[in-house]
Amino acid sequence: MEKIKKKKIIIKVSDLSKSFNNNIVLKNINFQLIEGESLAIIGASGSGKSVLLKNIIGILQPDKGSIVINDTEMVNLSRNLKEKLLLDLGITFQHGALFDSLKIWENIIFKTANKEKTNNKQGKQLAFSIIKQLGLQPEILDLYPSEISGGMQKRVAIARAICGNPKILLFDEPTSGLDPVTGSLIDQLIKTAVKTVGGSAITITHDMASVCRIADKVILIDKQTISWTGTPKEMFNSANQKIQEFIKPINSEIFFK
Amino acid sequence: MLDFFLDILGTTGKKFINFVANIGHFFIFFGSAIYWAFKPPWYFKKIFQQILDIGYFSLPVVGLTTFFSGMVLALQTYNGFADFNSESTVARIVLTSITRELGPVLTGLMVAGRVGAKMAAEIATMKVTEQIDALETLGTRPMQYLIAPKIIASLVCIPFLVCIGNTIGILGGYVIAIYKLNFNPSLYLYATMEYLQLIDIIQGTVKAAVFGLIISMVSCYFGYNASKGAEGVGFATTSSVVISSVMILTSTYIITALFFG
Repeated sequence: MEKIKKKKIIIKVSDLSKSFNNNIVLKNINFQLIEGESLAIIGASGSGKSVLLKNIIGILQPDKGSIVINDTEMVNLSRNLKEKLLLDLGITFQHGALFDSLKIWENIIFKTANKEKTNNKQGKQLAFSIIKQLGLQPEILDLYPSEISGGMQKRVAIARAICGNPKILLFDEPTSGLDPVTGSLIDQLIKTAVKTVGGSAITITHDMASVCRIADKVILIDKQTISWTGTPKEMFNSANQKIQEFIKPINSEIFFK
Repeated sequence: MLDFFLDILGTTGKKFINFVANIGHFFIFFGSAIYWAFKPPWYFKKIFQQILDIGYFSLPVVGLTTFFSGMVLALQTYNGFADFNSESTVARIVLTSITRELGPVLTGLMVAGRVGAKMAAEIATMKVTEQIDALETLGTRPMQYLIAPKIIASLVCIPFLVCIGNTIGILGGYVIAIYKLNFNPSLYLYATMEYLQLIDIIQGTVKAAVFGLIISMVSCYFGYNASKGAEGVGFATTSSVVISSVMILTSTYIITALFFG
């Protein structure tokens, strides 16, 4: 009998709830991210997707529930251990969150430079090797974030997240504000990062075309809870009204033919 | 009627509790910032940038303010004391007022307006654009990377700025005394040097260090706790300047009272 290798659970979220001043944002959220899996989280604006991500990375503290990353419980974890755990994660924020006072190459190698000393030449080379995968020109390396376009900032943020080849990638709306060609390029990059490095990714997005391209599994957050889970293909056959509303604007034929 | 009074009481009580909570929150921030300022690793590049910004780039505004204050002080003292034939005290009054009070306070207020506002706006912008969250996820402590260099630089630079401001202020008094009030230059300088006391210099330096701590702490605190986008940045900036200025004027009295109480 063929041995089936059981895949490791990378992130496990159990019974997570979060509220702000009696306003419940997330209620009893349960899901897991398996090794090598690309998970997309969809939901209407304000449904709590980014709050969920911030709980996972420890920026927000959940009211109740558990978050386990690589067998380590994140909730109430000491700051030092949390910092060590976060070094294995590559994260992008909704608006890029690039450091205004640093040049583009310094932004990209920030985490790597913290871990090991690199001189300017090595740093720029490392940054260049990453940005060329994202279709960016080397000329931008010496510029500041305010001197490049919003779309470029987004790609630099992704470059910062994937620098050092982290095994867990968390993206908050990576393709919003990008043109379809660049968006597709970013999707390809996420897919490559997951498949070739053997990494796992959680992507928060509104872009259903992107979901179809990158996701192995989709989670819909609606009314504070996970109201639907399935594969992108199952999404197009789902009777869930909210899912129907999400896929209505796109033609499934484009992606599955 | 009773409901109306209960409403007022409730609102006032809530505001008071918030006020006390904010003070507690500030002191926790203060303790944490001091701890991280003394804990390695130190970001020397960041500290140097702040020293340049706080010290070097504040020199023109501090110099101009103290120079004109010295000038106006000499003129006013002369006009007031001439009625009592005590014009000879001009040098002493200018020296004492500048070194003990005007030099440190004016420097503190100028730095609070120029640097404090900038610190608060910078940190608040980083807060509302998730840059501080990003720092945490990249294995860097914001307290150590952002706040500590500002506190170290303020503590180092402001005493130096006050010393330079004092010298320029005394020079302003000298210029007016010699070129407008026709004092004898040698006698004026002799009087200035004669009345210069170590305790005045120490007092001015202590005040400068305290003001440096106040400006950096208050500005960083309001910036770090900013919320609500652009409005939050504006609020943090204004609050940092107003609170720093009030605390500078309050603490100068307390320090003076401790020295001469």
